Amino acid sequence: MIIPVLFGVSIVIFFTLRVIPGDVAQTILGTSATDESLAALRDKFGLNMPLYEQYFTWMSGVLVGDFGVSMRTGAEILPEILSRFAITFELTILAAFISWIIAIPLGIIAGVKRNTKTDFSVRVISLLGVSVPNFALATILILVLSLSFNYSPPVGYVGFFEDPLTNLQILFLPAFVLGTGMAGAVMRMTRSSILEILRQDFIRTIRAKGVRERVVIFNHAFKNALIPILTIIGMQIGVLLGGTVIIEQIFSLPGLGQMVLTGINQRDFTVVQGAILFIAFVFVMINLLVDLLYSYLDPRISYK
Amino acid sequence: MKNNKILLALFAITFMMVLVACGGNEGETSGETDNENTEDTNTESEESNEEDSSGEQVLKIANDQEPAGLDPHITPAHSSVRVYSKIYSTLVRFDENMEIASDFAKEWDWKDDTTLVFQLREGVKFHNGDEVTAEDVIYSFERILDEETGSHIASYLSSIDSMEATDTYEVTFHLASPDATLLTNLTNSSAAIVSQKVVEENGDLQQVAVGSGPFKLEEWVPDNRVTLTKNEDYYVEGQPAVDKLEYYTMVEEASRLSAVRTGEVDMTTVTAQSAELLESEENVNVMDYQSLEYSYVGFDMNHEILSNEKVRQALSLATNREAIADIVWNGQATVSGPIAPSMGDWSIDVKEHELYSNDLDQARQLLEEADYGDGFEIEITAASTYADMIDTAQILQQQWAEIGVDASIKQVEWGEYIDIWKNTSADVLVGRNGSGSDPDRAMNYFFNSEGSANVWGYSDEEYDEIVTNGKTTIDDAERKEIYVKAQNHLLEKSPNLFLVSPKNFVAVRDSVENYQPYPHNSEYIVETTKK
Repeated sequence: MIIPVLFGVSIVIFFTLRVIPGDVAQTILGTSATDESLAALRDKFGLNMPLYEQYFTWMSGVLVGDFGVSMRTGAEILPEILSRFAITFELTILAAFISWIIAIPLGIIAGVKRNTKTDFSVRVISLLGVSVPNFALATILILVLSLSFNYSPPVGYVGFFEDPLTNLQILFLPAFVLGTGMAGAVMRMTRSSILEILRQDFIRTIRAKGVRERVVIFNHAFKNALIPILTIIGMQIGVLLGGTVIIEQIFSLPGLGQMVLTGINQRDFTVVQGAILFIAFVFVMINLLVDLLYSYLDPRISYK
Repeated sequence: MKNNKILLALFAITFMMVLVACGGNEGETSGETDNENTEDTNTESEESNEEDSSGEQVLKIANDQEPAGLDPHITPAHSSVRVYSKIYSTLVRFDENMEIASDFAKEWDWKDDTTLVFQLREGVKFHNGDEVTAEDVIYSFERILDEETGSHIASYLSSIDSMEATDTYEVTFHLASPDATLLTNLTNSSAAIVSQKVVEENGDLQQVAVGSGPFKLEEWVPDNRVTLTKNEDYYVEGQPAVDKLEYYTMVEEASRLSAVRTGEVDMTTVTAQSAELLESEENVNVMDYQSLEYSYVGFDMNHEILSNEKVRQALSLATNREAIADIVWNGQATVSGPIAPSMGDWSIDVKEHELYSNDLDQARQLLEEADYGDGFEIEITAASTYADMIDTAQILQQQWAEIGVDASIKQVEWGEYIDIWKNTSADVLVGRNGSGSDPDRAMNYFFNSEGSANVWGYSDEEYDEIVTNGKTTIDDAERKEIYVKAQNHLLEKSPNLFLVSPKNFVAVRDSVENYQPYPHNSEYIVETTKK
């Protein structure tokens, strides 16, 4: 399954990019380019070749791990993708972590105390989380912190292994913004899933056996409620790993999303192709991981 | 099930490995090209990071755009220029009064109208330790003029016929024809002196930068930061005053505002709107300067209706440029002709010009004479990337409606916009031009029928003659007269309507001293210090 999907993705990206209006060489060199410089650039990147030939040249490189070089800066693409993926990856993990801390306990409480004031407040919070757009929350957060508390996160990205403290300071705000957005959906899913499980016969049986309520909820109900929650978490992580374009831009994080966005604006085809193909690969991998987790959580599900 | 567990474990391990592998690779670009030196620089940079607290002067600047590459000869983007202009030397530069001053060339002398001799500084070294000689100067200009390089400034220097090293430290330029613009064009940051060895080792200079300017490239982390360190051997005594320049790419304006307010960065460019927000700030000064840019409306000169001179003049009369300055630029712009007002006495006072009078009756009368008394329909194209272009288009739509012109607006993305510009596939195009540091660019490059950026189909023999004459006339007073004539001629023919020249704003914290923004090369930073 994975291989045809990725192959399909590669074809779609490659050809849609070529359909976008705007001459590549001209966009890269700008309005003051001369005809000679345009011709030189087209020659260098084979832009004069027929499309299918360009595609095969690109793919034959990709298959052996050579993603080519950026049309604009001449830098190797694969190392660039990997170093940016590290940032996006860390951001995603942090955001997911923040969302779980908020969402899962609240979701369980809401499910257990259905139709009480607590349940109602949790549902309002989750609705807010889902409906306030990320970019609005991000901009408001930056301005409020700056104007009221005179705080601004450190500028310029530093890796976790260089300076963990600064790194976490830089990533906390964007992770928080993304995390709250995710939390809303996860909270709702946790609540409804717990509700459904609690109504089932086996829970009644366990309760009848006199097992303590806490054990009922955490050991039996929650574990069984996990599958739908996991599905939604998997989807969200997949999306976040693809680069959180707007958030990365607002917080000046040099992640994958920024790379794709800059690439598109500058018509740097080789960069966009490579990055999107990589994102598709990661997305497919995450979904595979989620599928594998299903069978771990529910032994009835198995793959041959 | 057992199989699944194994798979899961394998998966987890792979992921951890990916993370670790990625973490170790920060995608840095080193300023040094020699592999041996790379290690040294890395250790040095670690050391100097530690020194930050012990009084090293680091100037942090937030930029709104990522550099598009660092090769001075082929990268015209402003985001790149502000970085590489600190790394490379040029033969001459502008001083604070916009007069030509010495840079890498000590002195220069016109032997006759077509022979220019430069005396170079002796003992100047590239950042990699090699000496800069006449050969490097010749190589640099040959690279610019070579068609294969595709340099954006080749056309500025096209009068150069040949060059020779008349001594190790002396270069003689032989020109094909007299060229009054040559020295001005040599101040362009893109007319940089580069090292042949470095170009040959790396193919081009987009990723590496080895110049002889006041700062050396330490590292460039894409979409994040560019770090420059002081060139200890810089040939001007006592310069640069700071030890390090750090440029941070921060696309979002709110982030830049926040960072300069709280002191995370020392300075940043801001828009007119944000400049107002910062006015009440105690620790931040907002500096403004008139840019060399102007906004314009370009006409397709082969368009059925717009090819009529009277129609274009009527549209010029129907355009209220003051209103555009007030609404689009918050009043922070000046009405401009084809040569921006910041060029001083090269530009004429356009406000006095008849076609700038916004006289609607006269406009209607002109349309009447052109047989379009009932008005006509037209499409204005603008790039959605720039809010000011869209706003300008909307105001023009309203203003032109007053004389019965029914304009619709088409918004296009930047890449498509450039395509349209190039092929003149729009009736009316809203845009911005930089008028350069010599009037020749504004007048010749954009409007000579042979001009590389004359996309409008404007072809006027009389005009061509005036501007060609302007380029070859050496006497300054005489040249000024020629350009007065050329500007008036162009306003009369109106192949473009010239609108306003906006101010640029820089927010600078008050701990920064001796910083001066300039229209022609963005800033003067070599004497800047921090309190």
